[in-house]
Amino acid sequence: MHYPWWYVPYSTGPMLIALVAVVHVLVSHYAVGGGLFLAVETAFAYRKQHRDYLAYLRRHARFFILLTVVFGAITGVAIWWTIGLASPLATEVLIRTFVFGWAMEWVFFVIEIASAFIFYYWWGRLPERTHVRIGWIYALAAWISLVLITGITAFMLNPGDWPGNRTFWVGFFNPQFIPQVVARTGGALLLASLYVYLHASLSIKDERLRELVSRRSIRPSLAGAVMITAGGAGWYVFLPPSAIAVLPSAAVLNVFMGLIVAMTAVVFAALYFGPYRNPSWLSPGFAAMMLIFGFGAVSIGEFIREAVRKPYVVYNVVLGNQILPEEMPRLAESGVLAGGTWTRAFVTDRYPELIRDDRLDLDRLAALHHADRVALGEVLFQYQCNDCHAAANGYSAVGPLVRGRSPREIQRLILDFRNTHFYMPPWAGTPEEAGLLADYLRAIAPDNPEGMFLGGNAREDDR
Amino acid sequence: MNPQMLVDSASTVPLPAPWWFVEFFKVLGFTLHLAPMHLWFAGLLVAMMLRAGGGLHARTFSRRFAKQMPVLVAFGVNFGIVPLLFLQLAYYQFFYPATILMAWFWIAIVAILIPAYYGVYLYAFGLRDDDPAGPSAFRRWIGWGSAVMFIVIGFLFVNGLSLTSSVDAWPAVWKDHQVAGAATGTGLAAFYVPMVWPRWLMMFGLALETTAAWIVLDAAWFARRETDDYRRWAGRFAFGLAVVGAAWFAAAGSWYVFGTWPGPVRETMFAWPAMILTAITALSPGLPVVLLAMLTQRGFSRTAATIVAATQFGVLAINAVSRQVVQNLEIGKFTDLAGQTADIQWSPLILFLVIFALGAVVILWMVAQVVKAARST
Repeated sequence: MHYPWWYVPYSTGPMLIALVAVVHVLVSHYAVGGGLFLAVETAFAYRKQHRDYLAYLRRHARFFILLTVVFGAITGVAIWWTIGLASPLATEVLIRTFVFGWAMEWVFFVIEIASAFIFYYWWGRLPERTHVRIGWIYALAAWISLVLITGITAFMLNPGDWPGNRTFWVGFFNPQFIPQVVARTGGALLLASLYVYLHASLSIKDERLRELVSRRSIRPSLAGAVMITAGGAGWYVFLPPSAIAVLPSAAVLNVFMGLIVAMTAVVFAALYFGPYRNPSWLSPGFAAMMLIFGFGAVSIGEFIREAVRKPYVVYNVVLGNQILPEEMPRLAESGVLAGGTWTRAFVTDRYPELIRDDRLDLDRLAALHHADRVALGEVLFQYQCNDCHAAANGYSAVGPLVRGRSPREIQRLILDFRNTHFYMPPWAGTPEEAGLLADYLRAIAPDNPEGMFLGGNAREDDR
Repeated sequence: MNPQMLVDSASTVPLPAPWWFVEFFKVLGFTLHLAPMHLWFAGLLVAMMLRAGGGLHARTFSRRFAKQMPVLVAFGVNFGIVPLLFLQLAYYQFFYPATILMAWFWIAIVAILIPAYYGVYLYAFGLRDDDPAGPSAFRRWIGWGSAVMFIVIGFLFVNGLSLTSSVDAWPAVWKDHQVAGAATGTGLAAFYVPMVWPRWLMMFGLALETTAAWIVLDAAWFARRETDDYRRWAGRFAFGLAVVGAAWFAAAGSWYVFGTWPGPVRETMFAWPAMILTAITALSPGLPVVLLAMLTQRGFSRTAATIVAATQFGVLAINAVSRQVVQNLEIGKFTDLAGQTADIQWSPLILFLVIFALGAVVILWMVAQVVKAARST
């Protein structure tokens, strides 16, 4: 519509965002919690003059830099890349609203990188006190980065009063801000401990040192567990009504809600019975199990956080199909094919006779051959549906979803989204365009499977 | 198809900063990004060639440079955020369509950057001062691989940014790479926008010069353990490299200006007052060469090396300003960039500037601690 839609076969473009974002989150939380771990533990090891622990912390700092400064930082850039490609209108709105939030975050990112390199490369050459201070500078900068980014991502789920009062601070301090900062800070502490446990279990041979690591990291991880629980509860309380309604509406979210509770419970229990009660249990297998469950819980949490925004990308601001709600009346009048920048260019190029006085010429539209109707329907599918649905095959493919329905039934369904499918963006175009889309969907819908005994005669539909 | 049809209407969210502020930070950020980025774009290739075929000092430089690469890449990536942020803020109508039309190539940048960056670490970790044999063949291959990947990344970037300002090419790219009006993301600008090639090559020439400036800066300030012989070699080699870079820049730049600039852009850039900027941009890369020639004749000092590096930074800044003016001319015929509706977010803007200044103080404090520690050891 506003921008060319990026067609990604099978997976859909926005699923790439989800993929990159989840991978990034698993490392970026460690970048925050791991920084705090290094600052606190280096100070402790200097205070106790624990040379072996210091040697371990230095090894951990190298692992930390290799993972966070390279993979963490570049996947962070990758999110930015993918949102611009797969969700350009929402990205435009976010950047024009929060450019100074991102700019401030960039300053803290520079500080993070400079302090991380100095902390590691100048280990043993800086006075102990200075070394610890630089560790703390990193930890603080990383946490402020988390706060700044969370203000923007939380805005997407619930912008609060922003639609009526479009100022930076109203958007930034949205209802979801504090719950998500608490939950993400907890997630950072917990995930960092799980990373530390796996790294220590693999790299420390001395059992006493391993137990020390086990004991030292349990408190932040349990504190993280409490913060995740509290932040998660706050997240639920401050969800907009549509998001609360989405949770029980989608089967996948029902399963995921159960899974996240179960996986989180496993991690909490493993932390309590492992490092807390029995620090000597810290074997590579046990630590890997905890980290895998931790990854699972965080990944599912991120998926749910994204999924409940339906039918919006930014709640009440940008719809899932890259249309602004305030544009709906105009598009209902002119049609999407004539009203969108790129759809209009397509029609002007291929079917110039169809546009008259900035609108679709309905008489000429009615006279189109079926193949042309299907072709135009496919354009509408790309610009209206492909955000969330693949075509005939792939992620949430729409073809199988309309199996067995006639074009008229499909058209009625499309036009009635506003009443029957609140979690989908309402139809933005004209009824005639819905007919074009219905023709396309009918063309890609598979037949019912054969060989099923249903106890009666097959239904004769009006196909 | 009239390309103007493909340019979307203005955003419903007003510009949150004054136009001059956006332009200033875009150019400043790009200049900051250019310096380290040039060192991976051309510098790593030079270092790998010197490792493969150079003498003792050449291999010393190659080793030193490879060890600096992880930090240079980190800051290069980081400083690249600023110009891209302000580009997306004010040029969104052009940046998003262009990158979507070549989406797979654009996203390949980050996919290639991860192995290239890890390759740099892997290569650098295999380098030891006291090992005359140097890194293993495997690590050398990794190093070469990273050097090539960084050059490919540069090429893809030039594609994206050239297509951003070449709206006239959009209809052809879109028609050739679409499914039912949706972009397949497989349209590489190099096949549609002639300026991609000279821009890429021009940047490579400038990057050779930046590498030359870095060589003398490193030899003067950070190579205390190396011999005077090494420093003399560094000066001589840097001069030769800068000469090659300047000549390369002149050749590719001439191709870019006289072979690919659209008529109206050329007319404006060769008319008063823009012609002053054009002339300075064309001639300025000669200045570091002259300074390096003097440096190699009069002996090596930290002050002289710093002047060379500062001059090269100035050359990059002039290039960035010039590039911005040309980009505005190219895009300006499709929309009134400077006339965007603005509603300034004063308190976030001021807070950003305060944090920017404080951040600089914190970084300077950390660097001061490092310098102090270096002096005491």
